[in-house]
Amino acid sequence: MNSKERIKTIVEGRKPDRPPVICPGGMMNMITTELLEKGGFAFNEVHTDPEKMAALSEFAYRNKCFENVGVPFCMTAEVEALGAGVDMGCNNREPRVVGYPLTSLEEWEKVPCFDVSKGRFQVIKEAINILSNRLSDVPVIGNVTGPVSAATSLIDPSVFYVGLRKKGQMAHALLNHVTNEMLKYIELMIDAGADIIMIADPSATGEILGPKFFEEFAVPYINRMVDCIRRKGKISIVHICGQMTPVLDKANAITADILSFDAIVAMNDIRKAMGNRAIMGNVSTYAIEDAEADRIIELTRNAVKQGFDVISPACGLGMSSPLCNIAAMIDALEE
Amino acid sequence: MSKEELFAKIKDAVIEMDDETVESLCNEAIAENFDATEVIREGLIKGMDRVGELYATGEYFLPEVLTASFALNAGVDILKPYMKKEVSTKPVKIVIGVVEGDTHDIGKNLVKIMCESAGFEVIDLGRDVPINEFVDVAEKENADFILMSTLMTTTMPGMKAVVDELTARGIRDKYKVMIGGGPISQKFCDEIGADAYTVDAASCVKKIKEIVGI
Repeated sequence: MNSKERIKTIVEGRKPDRPPVICPGGMMNMITTELLEKGGFAFNEVHTDPEKMAALSEFAYRNKCFENVGVPFCMTAEVEALGAGVDMGCNNREPRVVGYPLTSLEEWEKVPCFDVSKGRFQVIKEAINILSNRLSDVPVIGNVTGPVSAATSLIDPSVFYVGLRKKGQMAHALLNHVTNEMLKYIELMIDAGADIIMIADPSATGEILGPKFFEEFAVPYINRMVDCIRRKGKISIVHICGQMTPVLDKANAITADILSFDAIVAMNDIRKAMGNRAIMGNVSTYAIEDAEADRIIELTRNAVKQGFDVISPACGLGMSSPLCNIAAMIDALEE
Repeated sequence: MSKEELFAKIKDAVIEMDDETVESLCNEAIAENFDATEVIREGLIKGMDRVGELYATGEYFLPEVLTASFALNAGVDILKPYMKKEVSTKPVKIVIGVVEGDTHDIGKNLVKIMCESAGFEVIDLGRDVPINEFVDVAEKENADFILMSTLMTTTMPGMKAVVDELTARGIRDKYKVMIGGGPISQKFCDEIGADAYTVDAASCVKKIKEIVGI
């Protein structure tokens, strides 16, 4: 079995020969300084050049950093198109949001619509196209920022979170608009050849929102993205960071094919709330960065034993993670 | 309404996150000639303390804490002009910010709110703060504490850079450096020579009180 077949088997509710080892990209960063140096890449150049973007993702794959490819390497292209100020980063820092166009929720109507025929959307589209042609056996993952994280890239998160209580209808209006636009981006990536779309919504974590707001403001919009991916016949992964244990029953209403949580969420609790749904996770990224390779092998096997269907880092990799530790995740399953 | 009743109502209005009621009750307190400092201490801050407890026990979440702090600040704005200038001891002064490279400031904001409601003076440098700015502002403001947070492993070295910069300028002992955030641990705190690590906003305030001995 190759990893494309393994993922397909899992999504169909069956057991593959072994779990695939996946790191989607986007918020779940798979790029490290050692990898960039080894391949002679300048990180800040790959975000605007489709050839380089595709080449870096392929180079990660060839160096045993996971059994998939995935782009882009940040969460900024789609929110920049909605007006967020973006710093393009440097060789050891991914692009990040530095400026919010909105000062209050009342201004939500000022958020523009996408033009996916322009700018970095086309870079990502071409990169996906190159990857899906070049690596037909390897799952190509396209990454999109989830609704709450996208909204909180356009307005100061504190203002947004306070608004949930005081100005709920306006928060819904902003989330609705942002979600509508993200659907265009998802379709663009799928049409370019993406096999899987990962929706990452770190700011939607139940740890911040609490169960009531998570259910009202995160789940419905995430599910609209999932529905769009399903309509296009592709696989969806949803990753949410942080302590999700108090809202796992609400998270079970997310209809994605595969759900992914942080390392602090225990598999026992996940299974109790979610039965035998496909779950991705959750080798500690702190261990991958700091521990020895033997420990990573142990942690990976332990994740399989606990019943994770897809093996992945618990969150984005730290840039200083050693390549040998990343490769150890595949090594652990490959004998 | 008696003073005690009014204070209790103000406290409840903060807990209920009701800024309009807080405002009208604070105006009432002014009209009754109650001492503004006492209204803040016995009404607003008592309410915020309870909000902190509700947060700690998982009944309130971040949106509730933020909304309650908005209500608290609405009350403080009304009372401030009526506060008597007290000849008090110098308040604990804190410089706080998220280190350069990181724009996640929710945790930092929470620490700021808790510190302010504990009566500390907080200078907020915001997010994505350059290393030297922590040191420059702490010097200029004659602060006691430098508090740094980050959510991203990639920006952790910035915390060490601040400690090193203090050492290089020969002023390391003038400040207590405290750090926090998702990827931070006591081990990292020890490694970079910071003074304290705390896991959340409430324990941060506790630690500061412990260090200054109040």
